[in-house]
Amino acid sequence: MTGRIVEAYIGEYAAGKSESAINRALELARQGRKVALVDLDIVEPFYTLRPLQKELATLGLDVIAWQTGETMGLGEAGTLLKPEARWALKREGDIILDIGYGVDGARTLNLLEGAVRDPDLKVFAVINICRPMTSSVKDIVAEVSLMGRVDGLINNSHLAGETTVELVQKGARMVAEAASILDLPVVATLADTELAEKIGPADCMGNPVRPLERFMPRAFW
Amino acid sequence: MQPAPVMPKTWRVDTKPHKFCPGCGHGLILKCLGEAIDDLEIQSRVVYGCDIGCSLLSWDLFNLDTVQAHHGRTTPVMTGIKRARPELICIAYMGDGGGYSIGVQHLVSSAMRNEKITVIVANNTQYAMTGGQMAPTTLPGQKTETSPFGRDPGTTGMPFRGAEMISSIVQEGAYVARGSIANLRQLTGYLKKALKNQIEGKGFSFVEALSSCPTNWRTDAARTWEFIEKDMAGYFKVGEIKIPGRGEVTADA
Amino acid sequence: MSEKAVTEEKRVFMTGNEVVAWAALAAGADIMYGYPITPQNEVMHYWTRLAPKYDKKFLQTEDELSAGFATAGGVMAGRKAFTATAGSGSVLMQEPMAMAEMMRLPTVAVLQQRGGPSTATVIYSQQEVTLTTIGGNGEGMRVVYSTAGHQELYDYTIKAFNTAWKYRFPTFVLGDGYQAKMREPLTIYDPETRGISLLEPEPFVGKEGEPGKDRPPAQYRNTFNLEEELYEKVMSDIREFEKVAPEIAEYESMETEGAELVVIAHGIVFRAVREAVANLRQQRFRVGGFRPVTLRPLPVTQIKELVAGAPKILLVESSYGQMARLLKEVACGSATEISTFFKPGVGITAGEVEARVKEIIKS
Repeated sequence: MTGRIVEAYIGEYAAGKSESAINRALELARQGRKVALVDLDIVEPFYTLRPLQKELATLGLDVIAWQTGETMGLGEAGTLLKPEARWALKREGDIILDIGYGVDGARTLNLLEGAVRDPDLKVFAVINICRPMTSSVKDIVAEVSLMGRVDGLINNSHLAGETTVELVQKGARMVAEAASILDLPVVATLADTELAEKIGPADCMGNPVRPLERFMPRAFW
Repeated sequence: MQPAPVMPKTWRVDTKPHKFCPGCGHGLILKCLGEAIDDLEIQSRVVYGCDIGCSLLSWDLFNLDTVQAHHGRTTPVMTGIKRARPELICIAYMGDGGGYSIGVQHLVSSAMRNEKITVIVANNTQYAMTGGQMAPTTLPGQKTETSPFGRDPGTTGMPFRGAEMISSIVQEGAYVARGSIANLRQLTGYLKKALKNQIEGKGFSFVEALSSCPTNWRTDAARTWEFIEKDMAGYFKVGEIKIPGRGEVTADA
Repeated sequence: MSEKAVTEEKRVFMTGNEVVAWAALAAGADIMYGYPITPQNEVMHYWTRLAPKYDKKFLQTEDELSAGFATAGGVMAGRKAFTATAGSGSVLMQEPMAMAEMMRLPTVAVLQQRGGPSTATVIYSQQEVTLTTIGGNGEGMRVVYSTAGHQELYDYTIKAFNTAWKYRFPTFVLGDGYQAKMREPLTIYDPETRGISLLEPEPFVGKEGEPGKDRPPAQYRNTFNLEEELYEKVMSDIREFEKVAPEIAEYESMETEGAELVVIAHGIVFRAVREAVANLRQQRFRVGGFRPVTLRPLPVTQIKELVAGAPKILLVESSYGQMARLLKEVACGSATEISTFFKPGVGITAGEVEARVKEIIKS
C-alpha cells in the first residue's frame, strides 16, 4: 500500500468536484484503505454530499459533513464550516477534500489546520469542457490561473446522459493542451462506467481513465 | 473532567455549542452582549431580535425572549415592540448587509427618530450566509463572490462607515461606538453603555462590532487576526464616537 | 384606564378613513404604525388627533415595510396594533404580512385600494384583491373583509381585531379610495354594549418572569432548515385555516332563490349591483345578487350552491378579473354560464350593470 493520499478537488461551479471526490474516495476505500471524505463546499451547498452521507458511510467512507438537520437556516445557502472539517488533515488515513467553488477556490484550504505544510496534499482542478466558463483551452487556462494553488487537472467533460466517447476524448485533448500551457500534469479522465469501458484504461492522450458512478443526481435537498 | 466553559448567565446552555463556524466573530460579540446583560441585570426585560444572515443562528442562543425577523427588518420589529411597550429593553442584532444595505433606511430613520432601542451591527465586510458576496463594508480590493477581481471603488463606491454616519444624524442623547472582537473587554463596555443609554431613556444607541468570517475570507487564524486588526481597523476606526453629554468624540478614543 | 372613545350609540356623518380611526378606537386598538399614502392618509390624520386623548400611540415610520414590521412588533409586544396603506404601499406591505402569516401574528391592516400600478389615480379601484388575499410569497393564510360602505368599515374594522386575535391570522379590511373619501351616515357604537366582547391581546415576547428561570424563553423564528419542516409548518397552518374558514366566511345575498341570473360583486361595486337587481326585479327579470364579504376565506359553500342553482352568473368588478379568478376556482366544474363585466380602476354604476344583465339574458 502506498503512503497517505491527500487530495483536494476544486473547480468551477458545477464542474463535478463532489462527484470526482466521492468516486476517488470510494476507489481508495475499495482498496481497503481508510478514507475520510470532507465536505468543504461552503459557498452554495445546494448540491453537496450532505444528503449522501449515510449511503457513503455504508460504503466504508468516513464522511465529515453537516447533516442538514444539525444546522439552522441553511436552505438559504449555508456557509457553515463544520468544526471537524477544520482538523481533517490531522486524521489518520487518506483524506479527500471536496472543495466548493468560489474566488481563489484553493484559498478554502486556508481553513484547514496544517494545509499549507501538508507534504502529501495535492490540489486537483476538475474541468468539464461543456461548462461555458471552461469551454476552450484559453478559458480553461484563464480559469485555472485564478484558482490559486493547483497541482493537476482532471478531465470530467460530460453532458450528463448525452455524453459520448467523442466528447470525453475532445475534453481529454483540450484539458491536456491547457495542462501543458499551465505546466501541470493531467491526473485522469473521468467517465461514466459504461463510457469508461468503451474508452479503455487510457484516454486518447494516454492519461488514465477513472470510471465514475454518478451519486450527485440523488443529492439535491 | 473538563472544566465547564464560562458562559454568560443569559446564554441558554441547552442550545450550546452554538452553530457558528470555527473562528466566527458572532459568538464573541454575543458573549460580550450576554455579559453586558448579566451585569445590568435586565434579563427579564430584554427582547432580543436577530436578523437574516448568520445572525439568525442566535435565535435560540439566549435565555431571552427573541424574535428572528426578515432581512434588515429587525430594526422596525424592535422599534414596534419598544413603541408599544417602552418598559422593555429592545436589542436589534444584525450583520452589515442587514444594517447598512437592505435595512439601512430603517437604521437611519430609527436613529433620526432617536428610537430608544439598541442596534448592534456585526461588520465582517461581506454577506456570509449567502456565500460571501460583496457588502457595503467590503474593503477596496477585497475579493468576494460578487467582486471576484477585488472591490473596485470606482464602480462600487467606498466602504460604508456606518457608525460615523449614524453619529452624524443622531441628536444629543444618542450613544454610538465601534468595538471589535479584537478587544472584548472594550466591546463589552460599549455594549453595556449602549444598553444603559436605552435603560435611562436617553436615546438611540448603536454599536458596530468588527467581526471575523474566516470561512468566507478563506483565512487561517493568523491572517484572520491581521485582517481584523490591520485591514479593517485601519479603515473602520475603533472607539466611542458619540457619548451623551460629551458631543462628538474623536475616534481612536 | 383611559376613557372610551365611543360610549353611546349614535348616528354620525363621516368620511370612510375617519370611520376606520374611530372604529379602531372602539375596538381598543393601542397603537398605529403608518406611512403616508393616498387614499388612506386620513386614517392617520384622525388617529393622530384622537390618540393622545385616549392614551393611544402612533408612529410614522419611514416606509410601509417598516410600518408592517413595526405592526408585527407591536402585536408581539402584546398590543392591538394596526396599520393602513394602499397601492404600492400594499406591495411593500406584503413582506411583513408574509412574516406575520408564518409567525401567526394578529396584525390588522386597512387597505384603501387605488388605481394601479400608477400614481395619482387614487380615487377608486378593486385592483388589490390578488395582492391582499394571496399576495405574499406564501399560501395566503389571511382573512380579508371587503367592505361596501361606512357602516361596514366601522363594523368590520372592529371585527378585524377580534378575528386577528382569535385565529392569529393577519387580518385585512379591504376598502377603496371611494369609500375612504366619500361621506355618509352610519351608527357608531361601543361594541361591548352590543354584546360584542373585545378579545384581550396577549404578549408573544416580554412576558412576565425571567426567561430560563421562571419560564422558558419565548423565541420566534421564520427560518427553517429542512423542506419537510417548512412543509409540516405550512400544512398545519393550512389545515387550521381550512378548519376555521367556514366560521370566518361571510356573505350577503339578495333574491338568489330561483334566479335565472345572479350578479356577483364585492365591496362597493355591490352597491351598484343592489340597485341594479332591485330595478331589474321591478322589470320582472329573475335576477339575484351575491356578495362575498370575506374574499379570504371565501364563503365556499354558498358559492357552490349558487353556481349549482343559477343557470347564469355575472361577475362584476373594478379590476380585470381579480375576484373572478378566486370565484372561478370555487365554481370549477359547474355547468353554469359565467359572464363578466370588468372595469379595472373605474367605478361601475347600477345602469351599467343593468344593461350588461339584459344583454346576457336576451342573448
